[in-house]
Amino acid sequence: MRVLIILITLLSFLSSENYTFLVQPYSKEVELEAKIIAEIATASLHGKIKLFIPHITVMEEKVYSKYFTLSPKCEAANFVFVNKNLENETLCDNANRLFFTNNYRKLLSDDKYFGALFWNKSRPNIVFIQKRLEKREIELPKTFDQFVENF
Amino acid sequence: MKIILLLGLLSSLLFSDSLDALLQEYKSTSDNSLQTVNEKIGHVVIYSQKEIRLMQYTKLNDILKELPLFNINTNQFGLTNYSLTGSKTTTSGFFRFFINDHEISSGYDQSTSLSWGDLPLDFVDHVEIYYGESSFSFGNETGIYFVRIYTKSALKENSSEINSWIASKGANSQSFTNSASFENGWSYLVFLNQEKIKKTTIYNNQKLNSNGTKHYVYMDLSDETNKINMGYTDVSKNNYTGLAFDATPDSGKSLSKDFFLNYTHYFLEDKSLKANLSVDVNDRSYDEVNTNLQGIAVVPLITFSQYGPPSGPKSYSEDLRFIKTNAYLSKSFDVEDNSFITALNVKNKTYDVQNRESNTNSDIGRFSTFDEETISSVLLQDSYKLKDDLILVANTKLDYYDRNAYLKDSSETLLRFGAIYTPTENWGFKSFYTQTAIAPSFYNVDYAYKSAPALKSQQYRFYTLESVYTQGDSKFGITYDHVSIDDFIYLSPVGFINIDHTITSEGILFDYEYSFTDRDKIHLNYYTSTLSETINNATKGGYIKYMGGYQKFDYFTSIIYRNGYNYESLNIPNSFDMSLGVTYHVTKDLSYSLKANNILDRSTQSLYFTNLGTHFFALDDNDRSITFSIRWVF
Repeated sequence: MRVLIILITLLSFLSSENYTFLVQPYSKEVELEAKIIAEIATASLHGKIKLFIPHITVMEEKVYSKYFTLSPKCEAANFVFVNKNLENETLCDNANRLFFTNNYRKLLSDDKYFGALFWNKSRPNIVFIQKRLEKREIELPKTFDQFVENF
Repeated sequence: MKIILLLGLLSSLLFSDSLDALLQEYKSTSDNSLQTVNEKIGHVVIYSQKEIRLMQYTKLNDILKELPLFNINTNQFGLTNYSLTGSKTTTSGFFRFFINDHEISSGYDQSTSLSWGDLPLDFVDHVEIYYGESSFSFGNETGIYFVRIYTKSALKENSSEINSWIASKGANSQSFTNSASFENGWSYLVFLNQEKIKKTTIYNNQKLNSNGTKHYVYMDLSDETNKINMGYTDVSKNNYTGLAFDATPDSGKSLSKDFFLNYTHYFLEDKSLKANLSVDVNDRSYDEVNTNLQGIAVVPLITFSQYGPPSGPKSYSEDLRFIKTNAYLSKSFDVEDNSFITALNVKNKTYDVQNRESNTNSDIGRFSTFDEETISSVLLQDSYKLKDDLILVANTKLDYYDRNAYLKDSSETLLRFGAIYTPTENWGFKSFYTQTAIAPSFYNVDYAYKSAPALKSQQYRFYTLESVYTQGDSKFGITYDHVSIDDFIYLSPVGFINIDHTITSEGILFDYEYSFTDRDKIHLNYYTSTLSETINNATKGGYIKYMGGYQKFDYFTSIIYRNGYNYESLNIPNSFDMSLGVTYHVTKDLSYSLKANNILDRSTQSLYFTNLGTHFFALDDNDRSITFSIRWVF
């Protein structure tokens, strides 16, 4: 899985950025988000990842399914990425799955989430919370240290 | 064992590198600003966040002045004004500007330039410029060119930013942007700006100036399905050559205040039902004093005498208010290979003269009884995927104009057909035929020729063909366009008239860009065009621009060319507007920039006249100057 992500990433660096007309819906940002989430999920979990994204869009479904086995239900997933606002949050919640968000404030206030991918000062950032990693017995590679914060 | 350790180390290195690299690529992809482009609505040029930064574009006009088949001039009030190639218009109705979903032209003359043309780009993420008819997609006013300005996303900024610049002639600007996102999905962005305008020219031994101040306030409050935008601007400045018969008024000032509130809501899970409501209020005041013999040439107040030259009032002032309200509802849906968009739009415009007086009449009141218009529109777009590489696009729009006063109610039928063909990854073709109409504005009717005040809508028919070829890091494009206009509304010295014959214009443009790296790029553009009328503006032009970066430095250089021409007894030389600049990034959040503008002092020139067009003269549009700027994010 990791090798595959690296290979796809390297290939995408080599290929030209130029296009004639962008007739298809533009998916490159979702594509990169998916690759980043794939990196994080594979580093956090052992074994096969089953991803659930609440209210997944058609484009997200198309893109994320290249990197993940998508689960239609929260209960069947072992990794949940919450990237939309859920009004009445009815997510399943137990120790069998990891929760990741795209909202930094949500990460701070809700200890269900172990990390977040969010934007700040027009740059994307990743933050994992040390205590929550320990609680879930997640051992991230040393190279992820720069993203781990002690609150 | 060692090998395993080494492999482990290598893979972990690659691993972290790839996560860092992915974050970097995620940012640079976002900076390419391609997420909103819609190829189906016309021929498009994108000014991405990356290009805005590298090229040090600080105002919207920095971008617009290099656009092909387009001229940017300074008009008699010292305002920038946009004209189609070869012609110079005082106010232009065929350019539509949108800040996000909101169309920002003046309710009076449909022009954008007074309040919004010099819009600072500090809160702008990217700009898309379409050669096409915007009202097919957004149900708003009709036009040929349209400029979509996308503001920065609060979700991506989540910070505060200070931008400031000062130019060698004394003009300066300060901006503050603040944005944040919340746990509940809502986010906001606030932008505040003030600018000092300095522009002086000497004509006839008299100093003309359009010095003044501007303020901008912009607010965005959004979540996934709601978007509330508020904008405010005021511009107070001297009036340059003004309306004086001799183009050198004793004094004069204009003040314009614009406010808008725009609310968009998306319904349904797939956001396919969109409702939009907006209101715009524009107050404008103008006053001028010119005590010489002939006075001020306010067209409806000119007296023509058998025994002497025509004359107007010695002093003139007006306070006007315009209100626009707009409601828009659209639904998009797919049926097999067809993608449909259908929409309804109702717009009401009112015009109120609060005060209008001259030295001889303290209550002039309205120039015409035309002070209200309601436009009801229905529109339909179908894009049909005939094959994987061939999309056909068809639009139709019906506009019904309900007007008070002597102007007849009218209806217009707008049509467009087009195709986008991408036979291989390297080749792309795009072609459109468009038929549209631009209705007379309150301003046109106020200043209409007295003997023929019932102005008709201008009828535009244009077809375009664009071909693009990409190979490796190169991209080459050719675009051809043919425009014909019936009933063109033209400002003659005695007021606006409909031109009684068809005006045609043809143009061809070549575009080439080559990316050396992700950061370094060269871009060349050249166009030439013809116009069936007497030419009073450039008809050929182009640019060469190079932008790039090395470590903590970004740099650019550009030269914009417009050809010279003869008009009456004037010989307008070629213009070569060359600039270069460098940015030093002290940290990721702090940078200083230096930019030299119009280095060769070969600016474009604009034509002006005195005495109702019996004498013409030309003045430079831009000064030679140096600008120093600073950007700090925290």
